[in-house]
Amino acid sequence: MSDAKKVMTIDEKLDLTKITTDHNYEHITINPAICKAKCTTHDCVYGCPADCYKFTEGEDAEGPVSYDSVACLECGVCRVVCPHGSVDWHNPKGGFGVEFKHS
Amino acid sequence: MSEEYDFDVAIVGAGPAGCAAALVLAQAGIEVVVLERGQYPGAKNVSGAAIYGPVLNNLVPNYWEDKESFERHLTTKKITMMSEARSMTIDVDLRDFNQTPYNGITVLRPKFDRWLSEKAEAAGAMILPDTMVEDFVWKDKQIVGVKSGEEELRAKLVIIAEGTNRILTEKAKLAKHPHAHHYAVAMKETYELPKKQIEERFHVTGTEGISNEILGHSRGIPGGGFFYTNENTLSFGLILNAKSLAEKKLKATEVFEDFKNHSYIRKLLKDAKMIEYSAHMIPKGGFKNLSKLYGNGVIVVGDAAGMALNAGLYMEGMNFALESGRIAGEAAKKILESNNYTKKSTKIYKNELKKSFAYQDLKTFKRAAKFLENERIFAHYPELINGLFYRLLKNNGKPREKITRAAIKHIITRTKILKAIKDVIGGLTSL
Repeated sequence: MSDAKKVMTIDEKLDLTKITTDHNYEHITINPAICKAKCTTHDCVYGCPADCYKFTEGEDAEGPVSYDSVACLECGVCRVVCPHGSVDWHNPKGGFGVEFKHS
Repeated sequence: MSEEYDFDVAIVGAGPAGCAAALVLAQAGIEVVVLERGQYPGAKNVSGAAIYGPVLNNLVPNYWEDKESFERHLTTKKITMMSEARSMTIDVDLRDFNQTPYNGITVLRPKFDRWLSEKAEAAGAMILPDTMVEDFVWKDKQIVGVKSGEEELRAKLVIIAEGTNRILTEKAKLAKHPHAHHYAVAMKETYELPKKQIEERFHVTGTEGISNEILGHSRGIPGGGFFYTNENTLSFGLILNAKSLAEKKLKATEVFEDFKNHSYIRKLLKDAKMIEYSAHMIPKGGFKNLSKLYGNGVIVVGDAAGMALNAGLYMEGMNFALESGRIAGEAAKKILESNNYTKKSTKIYKNELKKSFAYQDLKTFKRAAKFLENERIFAHYPELINGLFYRLLKNNGKPREKITRAAIKHIITRTKILKAIKDVIGGLTSL
């Protein structure tokens, strides 16, 4: 193969996916207190296909992991892999969220 | 219709299972509504496998006459084993699959689900997109309708076709909180490639198409890649065991990029332009992950019921969805006739489903899911077989070994024989 290896960032990929954000409703929330007290494995960070979960930095972070819903693809993996029930997961309201066109 | 009810049947979810049930019911003149949370049927869905022609033909006779119904029919199946810098492919060309109703077809779900929902609509079903069902209407211990926001919609029977996230199925007390090891994360990219280039690259004409399952090079995470040709796009993705990622401290997105950068994959996708990234969760637990299939006033179909399977060569979801939805529609007709919506009556659905290929396959392969969590299958064996061919084909100016002796030596020195025997027996009994 002549063409060089290329790694696309998740943000570049997600630019191609149409998502309508509902600014009045957060469909997934996590409980940082539970994460802080119980979590050692951080399954959400490794399992999320849109990298919505990130390790927090600094002493004043509420918990070890933060969540940002903007790019959520609504797969449900975080809800399933979290062993501590810290992920309160709902679908977005009707008409909001991801809108696949070619998948 | 009794004044108490808005509809005879309310179906939650306009995927293949929900639409199949709606079509069967509407064709019988039954008043049925389908509530879909997406902007249109298929907006939340991702195709990662093939639909079987005979299964779809059973539901929509001569479906192929409708250009919108499918992308390509499958005539070539490739199975590839990849390891770092190497790959080996088994290429099975089956041009006898050129006969309609076709053995397998590729679809894109935003198109396919919409097409099937339009069939149901044309038969008289009402499809309501942008409608999120959050809960049920209960009367004593029986479900008698659904709730969306402030609105209530009453129905004699509710069919849950909500898909892989069993939020409502759990609320109906028909499933428990999911076990992580029953689920896989699927990431997919859709690429645009002109039809002519697809034909040249994959040696297909007309609506012929290929599928390619790809094992190995997933950093030891159980799972596998898939590749399908569509009319003028390519579907490419990777399915990974959800629980194994954290155990190895590997991010799904990174394993995917790494997988995609294998030379074999780059060759498949050369010059093609990515047009969408999507992801979905796949129930792969098979028989052990089935929900309760019926309750008072309610039945469950498709992924919501856990009607999905990973048995290596067979990846099932959409076909089980279509079939369980069709059977649910038939069963619902009988349940409505009996005018009894308690468990005693809704059990008809399970009894009918038990006779279907979908339920039988789940039983046949009930040990496959556990077997396919074995890391050796996804890391060690693809490497072993590629290494063997490297050894046999490498020219190094030394006298050649006898092929069988080289093979035995290669395998024995690199494999824990007892474990390999266990894997062979495991494979033989579970697959």
